[in-house]
Amino acid sequence: MTDRDHIVDRLPDYAVGALRGRAKVRVESHLAECAACRRELAALARTGELLNSLALEEAPSGTWEAVREKIGEPRRAAPRRPRLAWGLAMGVVALLMVAVGIFLQRPLGLGEPRLVVAVEADEEMQATIQGHLPTMWAAPLADEAAVGLRLAALENNE
Amino acid sequence: MKPCIAIFSLLLIFFAGAGLADSTPWQAVWDSETATEEITMTGRATTMTVNDGRSLSATAAVTAARGKVRFDYQADGRRWSLIDDGTHLIQLRPHRKTALLLERPTLAVDRTLAERNYVAREGGEAVIAGRPARVIEIAPREGGPLLFRLWLDRKTHFALKRERHNIEGRLTSGTEYTEVQFGPTVAPDVFAVPEGWAARQPADREAKLSLGQLSARLGFALRSPQYLPPGYVLLGGYEQGWGRHRLRMAELRYTDGLRMLSLFQRERTGEEGAGGRGGRGRGHGRGRDEGGRGGGGGFGFGPPGREDMTLIDRGTEKALRYFGRNAVVVVVGDLAAEELVRMAKSVD
Repeated sequence: MTDRDHIVDRLPDYAVGALRGRAKVRVESHLAECAACRRELAALARTGELLNSLALEEAPSGTWEAVREKIGEPRRAAPRRPRLAWGLAMGVVALLMVAVGIFLQRPLGLGEPRLVVAVEADEEMQATIQGHLPTMWAAPLADEAAVGLRLAALENNE
Repeated sequence: MKPCIAIFSLLLIFFAGAGLADSTPWQAVWDSETATEEITMTGRATTMTVNDGRSLSATAAVTAARGKVRFDYQADGRRWSLIDDGTHLIQLRPHRKTALLLERPTLAVDRTLAERNYVAREGGEAVIAGRPARVIEIAPREGGPLLFRLWLDRKTHFALKRERHNIEGRLTSGTEYTEVQFGPTVAPDVFAVPEGWAARQPADREAKLSLGQLSARLGFALRSPQYLPPGYVLLGGYEQGWGRHRLRMAELRYTDGLRMLSLFQRERTGEEGAGGRGGRGRGHGRGRDEGGRGGGGGFGFGPPGREDMTLIDRGTEKALRYFGRNAVVVVVGDLAAEELVRMAKSVD
């Protein structure tokens, strides 16, 4: 957006006196240098004057009723203020729904699988860790003495 | 004549200097690997490792000759031995006079992979077991805690001391020689099962297999993970049988040059992995639920049909089991838990 575009956007607000402070100063300093924006502002002012000069006329009675009937809109009942008891009940129901939702989310198997950090390995986990050890032994720069110590420890745990 | 003498002198100084200068840190590291394969030595070492969150330590008499090695351990009044004869890892149990043989994997790891993923740098000088040593530190190229610190014998390049840290930077294993003698005479039977001992052989010989061959052997369509942690490459596929029931699993081995990663995979059957009950008789560890629900079983409370993941952190490595739609996957390696989860789930 160019500087001029920016001021043009602000001109309608300026024309009706809705700008304050820095925004107003910025528009005024721009108007001092920009003939095009001054013309734009003048045009806006003329449009405002024209609109103000027009007198307002009341629509004939029954016009809005007829329009509503044409478009099939039901008559609006007069708004009623909800009773306090109903409001409280709705709040309690909403809280219950949230709580049940949280409770049900995992049991229903939704979302990510659950991660369990086990302290002791079951047989299969133990077997895979043990199965990985010979690979550790044969790896580059392996500390064979230390890997051997672990092999013995795992054997003793069997 | 004088210019010729000057050029000759300069060349002499250049080549003498080149001979005296240190090799690069990586060259020193690979020289230490070669030394282990070639030298004959005896020595004593103290060694420690972390297992199941506990620190284990022992002293060991070490005998090595041209790629074969034997450790005679002693800890808490117990004695046992471990031999690597180049084909098997042989665990000698003196109290029962039995030998348990494990297949010794042969891993063809490309050294350039390690150099691509890690940086080796000088860590100073030290004296270990009375011998001058050059200290080399190896750390991930992308940043992160040190993986290895090695104290390499100045004369033979043999690693007199080594420390390994896990991905969180915790010291997980270390071995330091307190005595060492290079070039002694070593009897060949040191690396064999003693006569009269019962030897339990492995059921199968380890063989590298393709994904298709593994699928055919195991009777289900094996899948390779769609996600690999950065820097890792596949080394090969193997069939493994583990545990009391000789459960058949496929093992895919990966490496980033220094760290190893195993992905085990088997067919998922029935309601396995259904929360709270999964596994049916294979036993479950006691655990705590990351989701905060707690519970006594390793799988915690959960309704039927739930898929669970179980994580075990041994310190030296972590193991994560994931119950996928068709397969049960266990990933074992020294990686962040998030990486293990991502890799295991990518098999599904």
